[in-house]
Amino acid sequence: MDPIVVSLLNGVIYGLLLFMVSAGLTLIFGMMGVLNFAHPSFYMLGAYFAYTLQPLVGFALAVVLATLLVGAVGIVIERWFLRRVHRYGHAHELLLTFGLSFIIAEAIKLFFGNYPVDYRIPKSLDFAAFAIGSQQYPVYRVLMGSIAIGMFGAIYLLMTRTRVGIVVRSAVYKPRMAEALGHNVQLVFMGVFGIGAALAGLAGAVAGAFYTTNPNMALELGVMVFVVVVVGGLGSLEGAMLASLLIGIVTSLAVAVDRSLADMLAIVGAREWAEGVGGLMTLKVSSLAATIPFALMLLILLVRPTGLLGDKS
Amino acid sequence: MVLAGTTVLVALPALLPGGLLNASIQMLIAALFACAYSLLAGRAGMLSFGHAAYFGVGAFATVHAMNAVGGAGLLPTPLLPLAGAVAGLGVGLVAGWFATQRTGITFAMITLAIAELLHALAPQLKGWFGGESGVSAMRMPAWGLTFGSTTEVYYLTLAWVLASVGLLYFHTSTPMGRLALALRENGHRLRFLGYDVHGLGVAIFAISAMFSGIAGGLLVVSNEAANYVVFDPGLSASVVLNTFIGGVGSFMGPAFGAALMTFFSYAVSDLTRSWLLYQGVLFVLVMMFMPSGVAGLIAATGRLVGRHGYAAIAPVAVLVVIAATLLSAGSAFVIEILQHFFSQDYRSLARMSGRGSAILLFGHAWAPAAVSTWVWPAGLLAAGAALAAVARRRLAALDRDPRPDKPGAAAQADAEQGVP
Repeated sequence: MDPIVVSLLNGVIYGLLLFMVSAGLTLIFGMMGVLNFAHPSFYMLGAYFAYTLQPLVGFALAVVLATLLVGAVGIVIERWFLRRVHRYGHAHELLLTFGLSFIIAEAIKLFFGNYPVDYRIPKSLDFAAFAIGSQQYPVYRVLMGSIAIGMFGAIYLLMTRTRVGIVVRSAVYKPRMAEALGHNVQLVFMGVFGIGAALAGLAGAVAGAFYTTNPNMALELGVMVFVVVVVGGLGSLEGAMLASLLIGIVTSLAVAVDRSLADMLAIVGAREWAEGVGGLMTLKVSSLAATIPFALMLLILLVRPTGLLGDKS
Repeated sequence: MVLAGTTVLVALPALLPGGLLNASIQMLIAALFACAYSLLAGRAGMLSFGHAAYFGVGAFATVHAMNAVGGAGLLPTPLLPLAGAVAGLGVGLVAGWFATQRTGITFAMITLAIAELLHALAPQLKGWFGGESGVSAMRMPAWGLTFGSTTEVYYLTLAWVLASVGLLYFHTSTPMGRLALALRENGHRLRFLGYDVHGLGVAIFAISAMFSGIAGGLLVVSNEAANYVVFDPGLSASVVLNTFIGGVGSFMGPAFGAALMTFFSYAVSDLTRSWLLYQGVLFVLVMMFMPSGVAGLIAATGRLVGRHGYAAIAPVAVLVVIAATLLSAGSAFVIEILQHFFSQDYRSLARMSGRGSAILLFGHAWAPAAVSTWVWPAGLLAAGAALAAVARRRLAALDRDPRPDKPGAAAQADAEQGVP
């Protein structure tokens, strides 16, 4: 039982991490209609900025500074890149952010080399929070989870309870009308883009120390994040939360399953047929863990093309 | 034009040394892949970020066809890419059925996910994809040809690429090709007119995947091996970059862009480790400043020449070329110095000697901390920017100047310069 609880917890925390990145992505999409391909690159930038700053200013301050720096990068990209090509349409914006993500990955390789860097959690945070059965549970995972939950709470309160939130929501809903009422919609867009980028940067700065920090981390996480926003429904914050947790838990549990499809088919007495088929049938579920989110996404698109909580077609 | 191009391509083996001929094969394959991609992304307006999947499927189908029947091959060697075509078509139909459920950005995400699905699955399925080492095969002699030399492989590739590009061109003038444009412009209206939009999307997707599969098959015929690396997201990315750098507005733009980019990557592979960075920067510049790509740039220049005459445009064009050269030289200098400075070799060398040593670049040793090192790129960039500003002003002045619009003025200007 204990291993399952640990897997579940790990899954929830990975899901929360996915949410930290996908929240900004889906927020920006909902507002500007731009799917920011470079968003996972912000996550990577956060990790690398924090890695660079850590020896100079210490871990906690490095995380804060990295978050702010990534936010600034996001603002620069919105102001001087995206806004320039806005008139060519959304496909063009998508391609531009795709090119930017490519450049960021290559620039990281140029400065830090095409291999993982030694970015680790500080010694002072490297201890067990509690024990589940015989397993010690690291406090850092708990910390990552609480940062993500805190962030979700902060965004939610900001959007629903403050004046700024009202302006942002009105700018999303009717940009022209909000502009006519005297609100600077361009500034709102820039701000949301910057905050979304900063959130991804924060996620990277925190998670990069726990997982590996390498030039491929943007792509690896990015693909998951895109799956999350498609499964959850583009533009829906609640959908992103739900889908993040779903995918986090499913991946985490699948890694622990030491059985193949053929073993499962043995229940209905079809083991020999399945083993005869070979290929997919005899592979262990754990080695298929990386592919399960994609299969899940295709399945959900079959039964609910707009995603779990999406309504716009 | 087409005839001249074909003649040059046919004559190439006689003109080029062996190494370049190999590069030409890669260029042809990249051109076909870009053409197939541009049918989907350019004409039908469906941005796929996972086209390596169909390229890879075609490659593996071809390598297995080569190994079938005890190594004798399922088909004679010249027909082997057909296996890639069939596999690409089949997988394209299935993947397209899923992907074209949605349009726009969701479509792009689905194609990315399908490609990642294959990329994650391929190393696990050793029976099909050969694991880390991949699958290798042999080209068998057929139809009186041995296919042992690069020249024969080149002609085989050329024949397939010309035929495929020809078919793709023919497709643009068929009703379905015209409907692809309509799908890009307004899918809703197309549905109201009674067309089956989903079926049309799947068909275009599958055709694009089929020609991508042929390109993958040609790569295998040329390399005699396939590895799951063909599913790498980098390949999907490069076809997107190549296609849009070339320009999706014209039919041959993507093919041209892909051939050009492949040639450059071959030419500079010994000189720099940051080619992909240059490619990315070029792509972003194209996206921001000339959305119609290189082909669009050429067309725009042609229009300017038509309006103002060679004599008026030539000095501006020369200015622009010089400015672009200076700017790219300056940027390349900065990137290369940085690349060397941050490389692992240099770091460990500097650690051993205790201080920063000079960087050897362009046949000269540069001290990274010296002011004299950075004066060069700064000067190049400043001069380039100044020239670009001058060129822009002259172009603006041309547009204001009504004189060349008078009939005969352009011809007169040409006559003065001795241009026929």
